[in-house]
Amino acid sequence: MSARSVLFEWTMQPGTGKAIELRAGRILRIEQVEGRQCVDFNCFNLHDYKEYMHCGRTRTVHGFNPSKGSFLWSAPPRERPLLYILEDTVGRNDVLFPRCSAYLYESAYGFDAHTNCQDIQAEAQREYGLTPDDVHDSFNLFMCTEVTLDGRATITRQESRPGDFVDLLALVDVLAVPNVCGADVMRTSNFALKPIKLTVFQASEADMAAAPKTPILKSQRTPQDFRNATIKSDRALVRDHTYVAEFVNTPILVEDVVVTLSADEAAMFEAIRLPSYEADDGAALRDILFTWWEENFLGATESGAPAIGSP
Amino acid sequence: MAERTVIVRLNQQQIELVDRAVARGAAADRAALIRRALREQAAKSSRRGEAR
Repeated sequence: MSARSVLFEWTMQPGTGKAIELRAGRILRIEQVEGRQCVDFNCFNLHDYKEYMHCGRTRTVHGFNPSKGSFLWSAPPRERPLLYILEDTVGRNDVLFPRCSAYLYESAYGFDAHTNCQDIQAEAQREYGLTPDDVHDSFNLFMCTEVTLDGRATITRQESRPGDFVDLLALVDVLAVPNVCGADVMRTSNFALKPIKLTVFQASEADMAAAPKTPILKSQRTPQDFRNATIKSDRALVRDHTYVAEFVNTPILVEDVVVTLSADEAAMFEAIRLPSYEADDGAALRDILFTWWEENFLGATESGAPAIGSP
Repeated sequence: MAERTVIVRLNQQQIELVDRAVARGAAADRAALIRRALREQAAKSSRRGEAR
């Protein structure tokens, strides 16, 4: 069985980030040098930057703290795993919080120039021709966050130690862009900015085998499926006068299903129907139908992707 | 309680889901599937009640 080989090493100094071409089958290790440092992370399809990591999809599948065994998914309509978290020695990463920004530090702290993840990401991405508008919602490694009972997200201090790391296995060719989080006046990195070590490995056979297979579905569309596959190159939005709407499955048509309930079934219906539907019997019974369907047929594979082959 | 008729309005996507379940043998037809769902959900609710 093949062993990992080191292909590239880099230390990100505080206030910096690094764009790295990470080919499929390679691993990016993001490692604490001094400990307790948050790392913001962006990721793009190396051959089509319009496909990028989607924190919303990722947190829906894997929860608020993706860790070992989670995928980093791209945005719909591509919606496929770009990276797989092969190892994570801490297990506290975040997909709730946005990147910090210059606006944040000026509005809250009075700095008109301050290290911030938006600008650090943008500067790192500029090496590959991307613009500040291309920085996407951030995957925040080693960042400890919580959701309070009243629904707010909060940041707590972290306890990562020197040598702690997260290994990201590329499943497709990507541009991976980690940066040292610029927040030195918040708890995110315990009020200090520290370097972060990056190492790129060639994955071993065992590494590759560790990543579960995810389904390849018709709905995972690429530009060749788009009605408009041309990337807009100007900034203003102007109406296309030739546009004809083609929304999927429209018009939505409805059909009535007549259901005759026995006396016993009528009593069951009254016993379990949701009061919120008030006198709307049809809506109440429809809710029961699809709740039953969800509980019996809706599942998820071990990879966290929606089950396929459902009825 | 007397027998009762309920009209369940479904759109074509919901019908497709129901029809796939029927085709798999989950029930004889759409109405029967809905009645099965009702009975099984009621039984589940009853079991939860007994557990309490």
